Amino acid sequence: MPDDVRRFILRKLKNAPAGTAPSRPPLPPLPVLSLNREELISLFTENLAEQTGMVYRAANAQDIKPHLAEIAAREQVKIMLAATDAVLAPLHLRAWGKTTGVEVLTAEDFPDRESYREAAFNRVQAGVTGADWGVAESGTICLLHDRDQPRLISIAPLLHIAVLPVERLVAVYEQVVQSVYADKNRLPAHFTFITGPSMTADIQGGPFKGMHGPRKLIVILVG
Amino acid sequence: MDVRTQEFAAAANRELKNERSRNFLGRLAPYFARSCAGAMKTFPDPAAAVACGRAIRADAVARLPDLLEQFAKNALACGAKIIWAKTAAQANEFILALAKEKGVRYVAKGKSMVTEEMGLNEYLKTNGIDAFETDLGEFIIQLLRRPPFHIVGPAINLPVEEIRDLFLAHGVIDEPTTDRIALGGAARRYLRDKFRRLDMAVTGVNMAAADTGAIFNVENEGNIRLCKSSPAIQVSVMSLEKVVPTMNDALHLLRLLCRHCTGQKLSSYVSIDCGPKKPGDADGPEELYILILDNGRSEIYRDVKAREALRCIRCGACLSVCPVYGKIGGYPYGWVYSGPMGQVLNPLLLGREQTRDLYFATTLCGACRDVCPAGVDHPRLFLHYREQQASSVRAQGLFFKAWGRLVKSGGRWHFAVRLLRPLINRFAANGVIRKMPGLMNGWFASRNLPALAHKTFHKQWKKQERQRDAGRR
Amino acid sequence: MKTVSLFIPCLVDLFLPRIGEATYRLLARLGVRCIYHSEQTCCGQPAVNAGFTKEARLAARHFIDVFGDDEAIVSPAGSCVCAVKTHYPELLENEPFWRERAEALAPRIYELSQYLVDVLGVSDCGAFYDGKVAYHESCHILRGLGVSAQPKELLSRVRGAKLVPLQGAETCCGFGGEFANRYPEISTAMVKEKCENYLASGADLLLLNEPGCLLNIGGYLSRHVPDRKVMHLAEFLAAAGREER
Ligand code: SF4
Repeated sequence: MPDDVRRFILRKLKNAPAGTAPSRPPLPPLPVLSLNREELISLFTENLAEQTGMVYRAANAQDIKPHLAEIAAREQVKIMLAATDAVLAPLHLRAWGKTTGVEVLTAEDFPDRESYREAAFNRVQAGVTGADWGVAESGTICLLHDRDQPRLISIAPLLHIAVLPVERLVAVYEQVVQSVYADKNRLPAHFTFITGPSMTADIQGGPFKGMHGPRKLIVILVG
Repeated sequence: MDVRTQEFAAAANRELKNERSRNFLGRLAPYFARSCAGAMKTFPDPAAAVACGRAIRADAVARLPDLLEQFAKNALACGAKIIWAKTAAQANEFILALAKEKGVRYVAKGKSMVTEEMGLNEYLKTNGIDAFETDLGEFIIQLLRRPPFHIVGPAINLPVEEIRDLFLAHGVIDEPTTDRIALGGAARRYLRDKFRRLDMAVTGVNMAAADTGAIFNVENEGNIRLCKSSPAIQVSVMSLEKVVPTMNDALHLLRLLCRHCTGQKLSSYVSIDCGPKKPGDADGPEELYILILDNGRSEIYRDVKAREALRCIRCGACLSVCPVYGKIGGYPYGWVYSGPMGQVLNPLLLGREQTRDLYFATTLCGACRDVCPAGVDHPRLFLHYREQQASSVRAQGLFFKAWGRLVKSGGRWHFAVRLLRPLINRFAANGVIRKMPGLMNGWFASRNLPALAHKTFHKQWKKQERQRDAGRR
Repeated sequence: MKTVSLFIPCLVDLFLPRIGEATYRLLARLGVRCIYHSEQTCCGQPAVNAGFTKEARLAARHFIDVFGDDEAIVSPAGSCVCAVKTHYPELLENEPFWRERAEALAPRIYELSQYLVDVLGVSDCGAFYDGKVAYHESCHILRGLGVSAQPKELLSRVRGAKLVPLQGAETCCGFGGEFANRYPEISTAMVKEKCENYLASGADLLLLNEPGCLLNIGGYLSRHVPDRKVMHLAEFLAAAGREER
């Protein structure tokens, strides 16, 4: 039965007079493509700031933890939920948390989906993730979600801290998507572009942050 | 959603008297123009960037059948379940049956115009399943039971007092407050609980890429991301024209969409799905359904001119620049889609009969066409709909029949014009006509006409020509 | 000597013939010879807008017959020029003979200011005016024909005249032909705002180059603010020039 509907709709569309596909003018190259590393960083920072996202600079991997500690203290984070992605895993945040008094949880700590959801929504004050890419043209970070990058960590808590190695900063979206979606047999189930915290202006056009997700987004740019 | 397109004129006149809305609307167009132009400046050549977007949508509509088939094939290969629905009723029935089968008590909705077009919320509700709109604006208008005032800010015109009363009445707040932040926070808490226990979410789709089978959603609030993260079942409803050829096409349209929607380079969140979560993932849907809705579009597609309306990507820019919308707001358009976007879409989806006002209540000023990043030529479509309906008004038909006889001949035309002069000038006093009883009442409600000059240009020219000829002789 | 063929549309012919005369005088002063085909009628815009394409086609074919051989056609009404340029080829798309002629005609018809600046290369019409003026951008001229710089260029060369900015200059005045009569409340709200912006601009004269807008804005002013005027560019340039002499 459902297949009938599919055939019906497609047949009807195909029986309509054929359209002529127009010529497709190319997009003139975006100026961002010709920026050097430092310029990319400052544009990324500027664009993210436009959406009230903050960028902290860390000189190297050692430099990340002091930032985390400072943020945790300032934002009164007692429990954080962390991803186990390739950027964060080498940091051993759980051990770090023990020394700083921050309880660091990962999705694997929960026996089932229910308790994990409960924690993500109600127990933790922050979510920490790595970022797979940064895109300077709009100040965007990209997260490829999988077993090590659960979805709720970056959207359910009120604070999202993302760690972005500077070599993963590119100019335009296409540079990211071309590689992520290159292999048709291994497409990511879920891929997100994040450009600032959760926002709305639905009441009287006035801004309100943290409508459903984070009220703050902090990107720690490493390197 | 109830269709009230036939009450356009009365509703418009009512809204014209709404001071608060008028105030808000007065600020909208300049605000939009500034923010959109500011965001477009990042393109070295904004016009070229728009031309590129328009070509993508033109291409997508021209190749729709093939692209749609390709999309469905690829999405299926990713593990999504593809459901095709001919009508809104079929789509609603599917979603209800799924909810019942899975034993869910309620669903959360991400902002989606197409499910409003389907009347999904009402349908689920009458069948015992609650549906919660989770976009703040949509949440408010759902409680209010009104169509969106603006596609980008469905409740943006409402005074805080009205929202306070609404929230009190529905138990969203216990203590009255008119603080925007407190009201937003209350909605967050109210909906957060729903998200945490959520078993099934229904969202729309902004774009679908044929080359990968990926679906895109764009938002600022994060409610759609929660819809795609928390529950075990995700239903993404897309009207069938959402497909574009490639991922890169979708990316460029994203650039244009966000700039024309909210003046942002990119909205806070864009999420892209290819199939359900993988085994071992902590969250995300176990099952992803992509419901492809026709609801009359395959019929529209047979009309080569009308189908260009399907290019629309729902950015809302045409509303913000429309001088008529700028006076009356979104309610008079009487259905889900308002402003010029609604004026082109509603007649196609609801039929030309009950939507007459929508394609006549326009000065054809072209501001919508100029701003549209998808290349919809609204005035051209309005004229097309008018043409299709022309035969239904007899009196006008007779008038133009007569007019047609005159217009073919200069002699007859100018003879008729000569006869007209004394008829019209009967109503003139001191060179001004203030009214012509029974004729053009609308015009004369607020405007005069100059009395007709003693001689038409035509006559003067002829006279001077004679004089010149005489002089030469 | 350049020769142009005048197209004087219905509204001008009937209600505002002085605009036609001014167009003629202005062109003559600039050394352009004008001819006028007395067989001309209406461009068909009312029929197109009402959806009566069959009848509109009659008008289009007649227009092409009358004007088809002219080197340059000039009109003081941008919306009619726009109709000929954009609607004709589409109206006649299924009649190759006529469509070809319509397409050939399209590049030869000009709105007045467009002709003066783009073809004649004139920007100084020798006009003089002591005061401030504002310019209303008519939709069909601005968006339909892409003409906006030309009239402003002409105005900038009028000695003594100061062009002041008009808020919402590019916003429709609410005429829209039948629209104004059919939706009087909406139309009135639009023209009212246009007039308020004019009054707030500090200009003592509002200029435009579209007869429809002129009737609408002028009609509203005549009813509510009778001492404030709106004037067609042709008249302004022609009359102001005379004054100096
Ligand atoms: S018609 Fe164009 S401008 Fe209007 S909402 Fe659709 S895409 Fe945007």
